[in-house]
Amino acid sequence: MSLAAEAFVSQIAAAEPWPEKATLYQPLKEDQILLSDSASSLAVQTFLRMCGLPVQVSCCANAEYMSPSGKVPFIHVGNQVVSELGPIVQYIKAKGHSLSDGLDDVQRAEMKAYMELVNNMLLTAELYIQWCDDYTATEISRPRYSSPYSWPLNHILAYQKQWEVRRKMNAIGWSGKSLEQVYEDVSQCCQALSQRLGTQPYFFNKQPTELDALVFGHLFTILTTQLTNDELAEKVKSYTNLLSFCHHSKTSK
Amino acid sequence: MAEPMELLCWGGDWDLPSVHTDSLIVLAYAKFSDAKLAVKSIDWTWRTITASVPQLHYEGSAVTEPTQILNFLRKQRFNADYELTAKQGADTMAYIALLEEKLRPALLHTFWVDAENYANLTRPWFTSHSPFPLNFFVPGRQASLALSRILLTKAESPLLNITEVEGKIYSEAKECLNLLSHRLGNFHFFFGDTPTSLDAFVFGHIAPLIKAPLPSGQLQKHLNQLDNLCQFCNTILKNYFTDASAEKRTDCSPTAIHDPVDANLQKLTQLVNKESNLIEKMDDNLRSSPQHRPHRHESKPLALAGERNSTPPS
Repeated sequence: MSLAAEAFVSQIAAAEPWPEKATLYQPLKEDQILLSDSASSLAVQTFLRMCGLPVQVSCCANAEYMSPSGKVPFIHVGNQVVSELGPIVQYIKAKGHSLSDGLDDVQRAEMKAYMELVNNMLLTAELYIQWCDDYTATEISRPRYSSPYSWPLNHILAYQKQWEVRRKMNAIGWSGKSLEQVYEDVSQCCQALSQRLGTQPYFFNKQPTELDALVFGHLFTILTTQLTNDELAEKVKSYTNLLSFCHHSKTSK
Repeated sequence: MAEPMELLCWGGDWDLPSVHTDSLIVLAYAKFSDAKLAVKSIDWTWRTITASVPQLHYEGSAVTEPTQILNFLRKQRFNADYELTAKQGADTMAYIALLEEKLRPALLHTFWVDAENYANLTRPWFTSHSPFPLNFFVPGRQASLALSRILLTKAESPLLNITEVEGKIYSEAKECLNLLSHRLGNFHFFFGDTPTSLDAFVFGHIAPLIKAPLPSGQLQKHLNQLDNLCQFCNTILKNYFTDASAEKRTDCSPTAIHDPVDANLQKLTQLVNKESNLIEKMDDNLRSSPQHRPHRHESKPLALAGERNSTPPS
């Protein structure tokens, strides 16, 4: 969207209160959704729960194609559709709910930086493991991604998605990395998050922010998703304060 | 002494030791950590198209990519980060990710995709610094790599056109620069009085943007309004890279004699400053309450922030 259109939309957004029938769309939970999409979806759901805004989760096979940006999850509120955590946070802020108002400029800069760290490292690593690692791609990603479709569409869509992700990895320079290096990057990212979190219940003060929602979404999904091997989950488990952060966030929702 | 480490990078211009962001990052870090590097420029050699720059050669092995090179230097005991706390180390990683995600696409666009800049500045420079016949291929190849990177990472399906992505990446870059400026505040460097790897990364990204004579640079104009970042860049250039520009002006002999004495005094001052910084940080951590934040805001040069730091950000 151009900037003028965005400003216009946020003005309209501010005018209406949060409706009762807001819906969040994601791919099918049992059969189709993959690790990275599941993590993003959980992050958005956690954020909305933290703001106290009710939303119904609707699983559709074609959620990715319905989304305005091609990425899941997206929310349908009133007559607007917003996808991905960043724009959703801005949209909800325009409606008057915000979790990060109490932060000063320096803290807000830090929060944005850490959110980028999670997106840059964790999400990219998840995509790499799912689509660039041949074994995982063949055993898990391609079958799951194409499960709602019949032959030959399932093959075409699965390979198309794989090709897209591999192109992106190539562009950002991750295609030369080995799986061990990717696990190492995940470990470093978790170490950074663990050191930032320390012994606090949340990343900033005593209140949860969108960073907490994002981190919880990714870590919880990594810990509870079954992949071909457990190495990714093991990397996360080695940081005990992150584990207790996940427990705490899960129970306090 | 072991043989020195050799660094391959793009050459310098516009008062900078190198015009290439990644090369600048490595050069700056080497200066900060006192690592002696034999810098070899790849201009006018076949390496402009064969090598992935920057590249560090040491005892037969080659390391590429700034993060890998910095890790390697740290293993060789050239560490500019040894005084950072664990939390500051984590912050470093986070801010570097912020730079890569938000600022780099806009930088690539400014230098390689924007038609005016590319035709009048970038392409002539790289063409004149590449040997025949590579000068026909090198700029084009870099430009297409830059464009594909921007499109693949930032353009989502309805925005496949580069013009629609432009608005988004420039606004994100401006926000990123504002965030960096807020974080830097009035300090000389991001973590106290000595530069660290984060300073090297920020310097590498913003120095070309400040110094390059861009014909059409809306991002450059925005950056010039952020005084503390410009000051930061100039300070680093003055303190760490004046030998390079002074040699060019061939008047380095009087300054060379003063350098050892000044360097010792400087190191002593830095140590004392580090001590007092550490004590201050411990104090801050112990209290860790928001009431310490106001005096950072009052002295900020940005007129927009001022006293009204309770309003939402623009």
